[in-house]
Amino acid sequence: MQAETPPVAIHDLVVRYGERRVLDGLSLSVGAGEVYALLGGNGAGKSTTLQALLGFVAPTSGEVRVCGHAPSDEPVEVRRSIAYIPENVALYEHLSARENVTYFLDLAGARRRPGEIEEAFRTVGLAAEAWERRVSGFSKGMRQKTAIALAMLRRASVLLLDEPTSGLDPGAAADFNALLTTLRAEGAAILIVTHDLVGAADIADRIGFLDHGRIVDEARAAGPERFDLRALHALFTRAKAA
Amino acid sequence: MSGVLTIARNELRHLARSRVALTGILLVALLSLTAALTSSAYQAEQAGLRERLQHTANEEFESQPDRHPHRVVHAGHFAVRPASGLAAMDPGVEAFTGNMIFLEGHRQNSANFGDARQSSLLVRFGQLAPALVLQVVAPLLLVFIGAGVIAGERERGTLRQALLAGASGPRLLVGKAMALGGAALIIAAPAAALLLWLSLSGPARGSAVLLSAGGYAVYLAFWVVLIVAVSALAGRSRSALIALVAIWSFGVLLVPRMAPEAAIAIDPLPTRVETDIAIQRDLRGLGDSHNPDDPYFAAFKRKTLAKYGVTKVEDLPLNYRGLLGMEGEKLTSSLFDRYADSAFGAMARQSTTMDALSALSPTIAIRRLSMTAAETDLAGYRRFMEQAEAYRYDLIQRLNLLQATAVTAADDAAKSSDAAAEARSRISAENWRKMPEFRPSRPTESAVLARAAPSFVVLATWLAAAALLAGFAAHRISRSAT
Repeated sequence: MQAETPPVAIHDLVVRYGERRVLDGLSLSVGAGEVYALLGGNGAGKSTTLQALLGFVAPTSGEVRVCGHAPSDEPVEVRRSIAYIPENVALYEHLSARENVTYFLDLAGARRRPGEIEEAFRTVGLAAEAWERRVSGFSKGMRQKTAIALAMLRRASVLLLDEPTSGLDPGAAADFNALLTTLRAEGAAILIVTHDLVGAADIADRIGFLDHGRIVDEARAAGPERFDLRALHALFTRAKAA
Repeated sequence: MSGVLTIARNELRHLARSRVALTGILLVALLSLTAALTSSAYQAEQAGLRERLQHTANEEFESQPDRHPHRVVHAGHFAVRPASGLAAMDPGVEAFTGNMIFLEGHRQNSANFGDARQSSLLVRFGQLAPALVLQVVAPLLLVFIGAGVIAGERERGTLRQALLAGASGPRLLVGKAMALGGAALIIAAPAAALLLWLSLSGPARGSAVLLSAGGYAVYLAFWVVLIVAVSALAGRSRSALIALVAIWSFGVLLVPRMAPEAAIAIDPLPTRVETDIAIQRDLRGLGDSHNPDDPYFAAFKRKTLAKYGVTKVEDLPLNYRGLLGMEGEKLTSSLFDRYADSAFGAMARQSTTMDALSALSPTIAIRRLSMTAAETDLAGYRRFMEQAEAYRYDLIQRLNLLQATAVTAADDAAKSSDAAAEARSRISAENWRKMPEFRPSRPTESAVLARAAPSFVVLATWLAAAALLAGFAAHRISRSAT
């Protein structure tokens, strides 16, 4: 019944660093075509959750599955289906945007048709004059667009985003959310880790409030207003105070 | 494999687009080219010069007039060490040992006219040869351009992205090593071209060229793998650079510099003055052929008279002075041989100590292998000295025999007071022309390979150790890219 398993599935996950339980019974799932925002204050366990999904941290107990694979046991299979976009997108400074994307695609062994890279750049809104420019002069937004283009080209079924809109101006953040909407429509499971409540409410289908390594509350988008920001704020404050 | 090549291509592109790295690689490649050109020109000139010197010495020896054979013994001759095929690659100890030896009766001289003694002061700091560039400079450049090869990616965050894109730790390390190996190839290309040219143009044996090229390939591969491994283990480029510069200083500068001091301390050699005094003391102890009461020579005289069945030397069918000369030469030569063997034995023990210290520094191993392949090592020098001594002994004994057979005892005794006897004691110059010329033989290829084999094994062990470290680093990277 693997087809019914959501692309991201975490069940009762415990991760210890020495005596400290950074994740303490975390359970969440992100379905295909869904955006899940994981909110939490500093030290709540957001980054560790991402590390566990990427296979860089082994669970002390519990279960993590990405597209049916355990990251700590099958990191290569898991990483093949994941696109990870950190807060500051890391690209090779000596390469142009096109060369960066080509290099990562070659590493992934991903095939592409002629003109597909340009198409992806256009889709993410990266200006044509920037395609052949070295990324050392790129803004944060341009870097994110390059990374999203790469994720699209890789046809990643899971997107992990770490504070994606932090440092972006409102226009760029809106552009970014529009891109995520496109990817969601294409069936990607998107997990956003953030402490930006308003930004999360703009794009997420569900919002989980993380504190001391576990989800303490969860809200689901409903109706044209999607979320009641006041109620969300109350949940967030309660979670941080817990 | 395609992933590895992708990584290697990207790293090479990084090096090519980095002004500092590119300038460094080109400068060292230029240095390597300069070393190859100047060294080959210098060694070609040396080879010609030595050939001419030996030819001139032979001509002068053969053009001596009719004279008493013992005067020829003292006029002497010269043996010149022919240039070895790969001296342009690695002049080894030749610059300091001397390449020409004066051969005369009653004594063994040491070789003279080493490059360091007859050239400018600069030569004393080591001739600029490709071996020096590859052994010392190339690893340092590789350290500078390679320290950040993975640590830098970790700092910039691209390491994690590369791993998430599907690159595994081992693939990353192999790809980076291939790129750094490419840089090493560019640096080593002039030296490789020199080796090829020396092989094709004749002076060097194919096996020696392969041995030298293989040795340097393993040596540089060791540095490449070590650099990539340390870079993968270090958290930051700066930490990797500091660690690698420390390893380079220890392995390339400190240990090879301290090793000879340690070897000398363990097996000290007497100074030349001490040896000369000891030889003179022992010579006096051998006996005096001019003293009728000398017990050794009195016994020799009795034995000789008995052998020919006569009672006094005047009745011998041979000139007794010639026989005395032969016996004296035999005695002094065995004494000189003993001292030479003792000195070379101590040097060989020093070399063994040096070899043992190659466990601390692969530079010692490549130095040894390189000199062995070039035949410019201590063994090559010893071989020349022993062949020159064998030739000297044979030449002097032939001249002594001529004195015993071609000059009568009566003429020999009267030559200082009787002009006619003196004229008769001069023998035909044709005799000098019949003397054999000095033609030293080279060691066999298998002997050279056997001598170099331990150093090659040591280098291969260093490479294997670096590969193990790289394997550990690759495994760690795969598990955690932070």
